[in-house]
Amino acid sequence: MTRLNSSASVEKKRQEILNSKDQKKLYVTICSGTACHASRSDEVFQAFVDEIERKGLREKVDIGRTGCHGFCERGTIVNVFPKDICYLQVKAEDVPEIVSKTLIENEIVERLLYEDSNGQKIIHENDIPFYKRQNRTVFGNNRLIDPQNIDSYIALGGYTALTKVLFEMTPEQVLEEVKKANLRGRGGGGFPAGIKWETTRNAPGEPKYVIVNADEGDPGAYMDRSLLEGNPHSVLEGLTIGAYAIGSHQGFIYVRQEYPIAVENLLVALEQAREYGLLGKNILGSGFDFDVKVHRGAGAFVSGESSALMTAIEGKAGEPRPKYIRTAVSGIWEKPSNLNNVETWATVPLIINKGAEWFSNIGTKGSKGTKIFSLVGKVNNTGLVEVPMGTTLRQVVYDIGGGIPKGKKFKAVQTGGPSGGVIPEEFLDLSIDFDELSNVGSMMGSGGMVVMDEDTCMVDTARYFLDFLAGESCGKCVPCREGIYQMLKILNRICQGEGREGDIELLEEISEVVKDFSLCALGRTAPNPVLSTIKYFRNEYEAHIYEKRCPAGVCKALISYYIDPEKCQGCTACLRNCPTGAITGGKGLVHIIDQEKCVKCGTCLEVCPPRFSAVTKLSGVSVPEPVPQGTKVIRKGDRKK
Amino acid sequence: MCGLTVKRIMARKKTKSAFVGIKMTSEQAELLDRLQRVLNSATKTEVLLKGLDLLGKLYPSTSIPPPWILLGEGETSPPVVTNRELAMLEAEARRYSTNVQQVRNKTKEVMKQMTQELSKTDRIVDKYKGDKSSLIQLLLELQRENHWLSEEMLKWVSQKMDIPLTQIYRVATFYKAFSLVPRGRHSISVCMGTACHVRGAPHLLDKVMETLKIRPGETTRDMRFSLETVNCLGCCALGPVMVVDGKYYSKPSTKEIEQIAASD
Repeated sequence: MTRLNSSASVEKKRQEILNSKDQKKLYVTICSGTACHASRSDEVFQAFVDEIERKGLREKVDIGRTGCHGFCERGTIVNVFPKDICYLQVKAEDVPEIVSKTLIENEIVERLLYEDSNGQKIIHENDIPFYKRQNRTVFGNNRLIDPQNIDSYIALGGYTALTKVLFEMTPEQVLEEVKKANLRGRGGGGFPAGIKWETTRNAPGEPKYVIVNADEGDPGAYMDRSLLEGNPHSVLEGLTIGAYAIGSHQGFIYVRQEYPIAVENLLVALEQAREYGLLGKNILGSGFDFDVKVHRGAGAFVSGESSALMTAIEGKAGEPRPKYIRTAVSGIWEKPSNLNNVETWATVPLIINKGAEWFSNIGTKGSKGTKIFSLVGKVNNTGLVEVPMGTTLRQVVYDIGGGIPKGKKFKAVQTGGPSGGVIPEEFLDLSIDFDELSNVGSMMGSGGMVVMDEDTCMVDTARYFLDFLAGESCGKCVPCREGIYQMLKILNRICQGEGREGDIELLEEISEVVKDFSLCALGRTAPNPVLSTIKYFRNEYEAHIYEKRCPAGVCKALISYYIDPEKCQGCTACLRNCPTGAITGGKGLVHIIDQEKCVKCGTCLEVCPPRFSAVTKLSGVSVPEPVPQGTKVIRKGDRKK
Repeated sequence: MCGLTVKRIMARKKTKSAFVGIKMTSEQAELLDRLQRVLNSATKTEVLLKGLDLLGKLYPSTSIPPPWILLGEGETSPPVVTNRELAMLEAEARRYSTNVQQVRNKTKEVMKQMTQELSKTDRIVDKYKGDKSSLIQLLLELQRENHWLSEEMLKWVSQKMDIPLTQIYRVATFYKAFSLVPRGRHSISVCMGTACHVRGAPHLLDKVMETLKIRPGETTRDMRFSLETVNCLGCCALGPVMVVDGKYYSKPSTKEIEQIAASD
């Protein structure tokens, strides 16, 4: 690859790439993000390669991979250009049909298209309601870029922002632009990035470092991963621009070790950027030097905290330190270090290209621009969603997410991961905004949005998060180490049916100490799940403690499985599948669960045929006396279809 | 005990008359002479065996050998001894020599393994020569290569990188990615992230634990599978998710789990 070394060379290269591409040639892309990879996208890719070879179409069709498209519920996603046909949930067996019908005969395979609620088939990906209602400024290019090929990024206008910055702007001007745009950090803290950059720039000491925080520890959040896997150059470009503004010549990207594909694509991207002269010494001939090292995490949630992360980069155990002195002033090896989240860095080239004003026109007064959320849990359209700040939660969960599956009732949406809280139905019309979400007791966090329905127990949710945090706490400070553990003990007792009078008040009291006196944000935000679930779902706590009842039917110690003798038809399905042999009965006889042997696994409920629905979960009431063994079933006259 | 008996035998030889109940011919005396010469130059075990061999020739017998006499390769009848003490002596000596040989072989094997392991470790350590801040990266590679970090490996790293061993253990015990005990050939990870939790991950984990009969963090006795829980693999749309050696399984059924557990 020839080095690009002038202000005009990026644009020239872009024209070169566009001209060399035959826009009319058939081009098939297969989404290869981790979720689609888990849906066996590799097999689909190979199937395409084989089938195209078999039909002798190698000269006529190009095949490529892309990063995550975001509609992960319907992976593997395959696009056929130039017509821009979008096929969903493609399996390796579907490939021969796609090749013969679409590639050869130029026809569409209807059954693989998206079907909306009216039964209408949709051909183009961007028309699908899931995407249409989003504003995919940062994430949208994922579907068009081959992450292992820098040319596909340049073809879409990549690195023009860097060119502009290096040749037409001073570092101070870049700083001003980012400050004017009011870009707030997308990693959870929401701190204005421009101000952080300025602090680092003005801090005494050389060398200065810039860091990409790709630790993404929140369970259920995977936006950063998809950005890194699908469009690594957008992050690199943003990082280089930031380094120029701050006066740094060495960057670090800290990626958690659970993201091997992201690391691979990053390393490839770095190599290719270096070859093109977009990274390293004398970038684009401007005289600016900057290079990047990738540092892998080793499985510690707390290491995602900025001071902990910097300690980990130094090769030590990643524990946070008190931030009397900000890391922007004293970070890695006590030098000024600027740390930002992946998404924050990826937004920077857009601000430079389109202007701070464009950016600040999107969003609300306090929160500008768009944000990528991972919408997961009990929702129909699970995936990555990018919406402008100010969109309401209802729009995200229902219009884009498609609502709750199986017709269940919405209970709450949990934002901000283990540091956030639950937001109940009454606040569904809240606009998504850093401050608005904090005001209701939750927070934006890194963008995880977990939807919960009537079958989710709020006490169990609080217990789940505390369990996670107890394992991840570094243990350095007493409030976090002991406080979280004690709160967990109380919650465990409550879920076991041993809740006591005064437990809720005790939880609130401990929370206060942990919140105010923990060393780092892990401890300070640890009580949030507990406090917000108590605030909005106190009745569930009270039911667990006073009535020994779990309203959602989740806490095993508080539920019993019971077969209704009037509904049981004696089909023996549950008996055969019970792992502990707790069910007695026979064909045509009422089945009875021995409560002593039952381990509450729920298998009987799963396998009982829906037309009988004889198995129920009881909670808070004692199990009725079993009918005598050998009682015959009451045969239903006509079966409900 | 053996030494004492040989001494007694030698003492008896000297007194010429005194082999209790045993008459010696000049041939036999010659044999015993040879034994003495052998005594001066060989190991104790060899002497014992040789001695017994020679003594055996002094006491030919047609009686059936006692059961504690070990037959060697291709031997049809053992070096026959009628004296019970001698017989036990021989058995002891043989066992001793086999054990010594086994220990020698085992030591050779262990040394060979250790050298191989250390040279693998060396190759990786050399990549990061000198850079103490890349300790975590180095340990990650070692973990990937060997599936665990043994004490020898860490001691070696400590020496080569000039980092105190306590510091290395600090790092190795802080991060979840490192295992200080041997892991199975295949790793099974069940995702316990929030989205999977809400979609029934604990239930899935229960099924896996029941099938494999181990808990998270443990390895099956036959060293085939290690079970772990992880917090979010990032494919929440497919939850609950289980990964076996890098292959993802979405909402696996009990049958699928049993199939995987039964495979090698």
